[in-house]
Amino acid sequence: MIAFLLVLALQLKVPDAEQFVGKPQGTPLTGEQLHLRTQQVGALLRCPVCQGLSVSDSPAEMAVNMRGQVRELLSRGYTQEQILSYFERSYGQFVLLKPKFNGVAAVVWILPILAVAIGVVIVVSKAKKLEQRPTANGQQPTANDPYLARVRDMVQKP
Amino acid sequence: MNRTVLIVGLIIVAAIVAILFMGLGNDPAHIDSPLIGSPAPGFALKAVGSDETIDLTRYRGKPVVLNFWATWCRPCWDEHPVLTANAQMAGDRVQYLGVVFQDEESKIRSFLEQRGWAYPTLVDQAGKTAIAYGVGGVPETYFLDKNGIIVAKFAGPMSAEDIEKNLRKAMQ
Amino acid sequence: MTASLGRFLILASVLVSAAGAFIGFAAGQKQSPEGLKWARRFAYAFAALMLLATVVMEYALITHDFSVQYVAQVGSRDVPLWVTIVSLWSSLEGSILFWGFILGIYIAGATRLNIGKHEEYMPYAIGTWLGCGAFFAFLIAGPANPFLTVPNPPLNGPGPNPLLQNHVLMIIHPPMLYLGYVGMTIPFGFAMAALLRKRLGHSFLRPLRASLLLPWIFLTIAIMLGGWWAYEVLGWGGYWAWDPVENASLLPWLTATAALHSAVVMERRGILKGWTVTLVQASFLLTILGTFMTRSGVFNSVHSFTQSSIGPTILVFLAVTLIASVVLLALRIDSLESDGNIESAVSREGMFLVNNLIFVVLTFTVLVGTCFPLIVEAVKGKQMSVGRPYFDAMAVPMGAALLFLIGVGPALPWGRATKREMVRALVPPIGAGVVVAVIGALLGVRNPWTLVTLFFGGYAVHVTLAQMWLPLVQRMKRGGSFGEALVDAQLRRGRRRFGSYIVHAGATIVLVAIAVSSTQRTSQEMTLKRGQTAQAAGYSITFTGIEERAEPHRQSTIAHFNVTKDGKPVTTMDPRMNQYAAMREPIGTPAVHSTILSDLYISIMNIAPDQQSAGFVVINTPMVSWIWIAVLLMGLGGLVALIPHRAVVMSVVAAAPAASAGEAPAATLIRS
Repeated sequence: MIAFLLVLALQLKVPDAEQFVGKPQGTPLTGEQLHLRTQQVGALLRCPVCQGLSVSDSPAEMAVNMRGQVRELLSRGYTQEQILSYFERSYGQFVLLKPKFNGVAAVVWILPILAVAIGVVIVVSKAKKLEQRPTANGQQPTANDPYLARVRDMVQKP
Repeated sequence: MNRTVLIVGLIIVAAIVAILFMGLGNDPAHIDSPLIGSPAPGFALKAVGSDETIDLTRYRGKPVVLNFWATWCRPCWDEHPVLTANAQMAGDRVQYLGVVFQDEESKIRSFLEQRGWAYPTLVDQAGKTAIAYGVGGVPETYFLDKNGIIVAKFAGPMSAEDIEKNLRKAMQ
Repeated sequence: MTASLGRFLILASVLVSAAGAFIGFAAGQKQSPEGLKWARRFAYAFAALMLLATVVMEYALITHDFSVQYVAQVGSRDVPLWVTIVSLWSSLEGSILFWGFILGIYIAGATRLNIGKHEEYMPYAIGTWLGCGAFFAFLIAGPANPFLTVPNPPLNGPGPNPLLQNHVLMIIHPPMLYLGYVGMTIPFGFAMAALLRKRLGHSFLRPLRASLLLPWIFLTIAIMLGGWWAYEVLGWGGYWAWDPVENASLLPWLTATAALHSAVVMERRGILKGWTVTLVQASFLLTILGTFMTRSGVFNSVHSFTQSSIGPTILVFLAVTLIASVVLLALRIDSLESDGNIESAVSREGMFLVNNLIFVVLTFTVLVGTCFPLIVEAVKGKQMSVGRPYFDAMAVPMGAALLFLIGVGPALPWGRATKREMVRALVPPIGAGVVVAVIGALLGVRNPWTLVTLFFGGYAVHVTLAQMWLPLVQRMKRGGSFGEALVDAQLRRGRRRFGSYIVHAGATIVLVAIAVSSTQRTSQEMTLKRGQTAQAAGYSITFTGIEERAEPHRQSTIAHFNVTKDGKPVTTMDPRMNQYAAMREPIGTPAVHSTILSDLYISIMNIAPDQQSAGFVVINTPMVSWIWIAVLLMGLGGLVALIPHRAVVMSVVAAAPAASAGEAPAATLIRS
């Protein structure tokens, strides 16, 4: 009976990553390294049935299955790109928690950098403008904090 | 009137309001399938209630309604009689297939025996088939045309009309 | 009967707030003292009506009056009393009523505290506040009415969402959040008043700042409580997932913190008035945006239970207030500007500008990241996700930059500094930074960003302590013990400064603890049989068995663990899976053992049918308790800075007639 089942089992075929992303392009992982990498790659995949949790963090059975799939692919030597690409193929970009660097998703990476650049320009020009204005009422600012002024005095005295 | 503030401010306001307004029409839980138009991933899984292994390619030549479900899924209970009835009506013209994952064979058997068993039901291995198809939850149904290409995906329990509409796409 | 009473009270509050808003703006325009008096009366009336309506609702909840719609929705005879009381804010309609209640208290308080003062601004401020009050009262009266009558009242109700019944933090987190969020309306009113009056006088800075600081304190603690709740309740072992609703609570906090800082520069140099007003407006507008994000159903979030159909209404209010704010700002910002300047950009003033830059960029980034999937879906029709990896990648460098500023900013002197002064200020703390980073490395930290954070953190702690120490030294030099110096120099006179440095110390610890707890965390999955022991993070945990416990509102499956360390028993831990009658899927509650060094965290993944074995996730997170404690420290610092100085001045002037010449100018200046 068991032998019969075994034979049956050998004929079972589930869809395999190989048909979609080709042969593994990295080295197979084992042990502690495998566990760590499974967590890291899982943290980049979104659990489709949860509200925004990653596959590593979610207790849902779907997420457990996906973690298992990630582990298996890593142990066979697939790289992170291949694994992410495999899941993207069936779930779409929705499943990638880290937006891709190409296509429309690249905009979300560029915008903050643009904001920093524009912000720096604005702050620097504003600071320069403020520096160049003449002092309106002389002594007013430093006197506001008498303790600091006294400290500075004492620090500057020999 | 500070022109810069006005223009920059109104642009920001318009952008925010427009984005949020457009968002109001969407359901954040709805995900389109990227597989539409691609060949359906092949598989050969064990059928419930027999020792047979059924390969998807067996059904090349006619449209396939591939329904992912599970016995613990409440909406699937409502959908089951609809699928059963449609399968019986369709006869040989359309092949209905069920794939169950995250479940136990004995439970599936008793469910089907109680509620009707009109078409083969297969058991998935560790959710791998579901992952290959991009199944996000149950029930989800894929409609394949006679060449094995996925033409439509329906998430959630289907009514007879839903099946009708999507089958038409598969028959073209 | 109760329902109609509630409806009447709410309707009255709509009328009162609308009328009061109108009177406020008219009184402001005419600068009429009589008008102001009436505006105040309407303000108190609004607060009273909201209070009464809330009392009526709580009464209906506690007496299980299922003829009231909201009670039929969230009430239940089977839940404990505390759950019944807090179910006021467990679902949409009740929580909007709660918003109105808190708003009423804030408006009444702000009105009362400013009687006889700032009379040129107050009518406009009251007008603005009551205008916002009118909107929320309208929401309660119309789309989100909890007081509708149920024609055939049921005998029992389903109770509030089970996720909210899982933990005691449910009592404090929402009220704290509301106290923070709703409180932003008050400084918004002051800001609009300043714009309408075309001036922001020096004396008006104090109420503006104080009214911003109080909600800031609540919001800071509320955000921490949200994270703590996610950590203790949701079971994935983390405290911040950059979920849209989490981001919604963070956005106004970022702009409010920026505003608090720019207000300091505004006070010292008279510049950045328009900018500070903009930030205050933004803080309020972001709370409205936040409430839209939480309730509209547009975003996929852990908070989905508050979704409803009032999204469009809130969006309209948001659009109106946005446009009003922008237009008023554009019209009046130039009249606010003064002739102030700064002496040098490389100074403490300059660092405040950099601080604001970082906070604003961070706000922008979080906002863009949260809304980006919406934009893509609208433009391209595809769904994409912007998740934790993105936000972490953006927030980590910015957090490190802020930590750098917490160190360098207070170290730099005000105004212009000579090269020697700068070196003397900036170099010594480097030693402390190196020490902390080295300690971290010795304890196993390898992540480069964490090491950088540790270095900046050590630097910042050195600077903060030194700045707190200096006034003490000065005081002690003039005679007096350490205790006297502490009370006099810091608590009596230097409260704002002292309080700010306490906040900085807290913030430094928070940033360092976040860095360490995220990167040094370890997690294992294990399946244990009954009686089996496993090793985790230096502890031995023994799974002793499963217990089933039935409570009126839920069925709990509890896994018991004995935890020992080096053979000595430490504690028992009992993670659970709760099956609520109202929900299909069970909800897990993890077990957390917190020590000052790290937390041991066990969560149930699955239980075998025969209950003789089960799968668990065991997580060890170092320094996570430091986050909660340090945020409380931040709140405490804020409180210290908030206490007004007026009472002090009376005693200083009265009790020290023989004060030295150095004292007198200090006393006069404090009075302002």
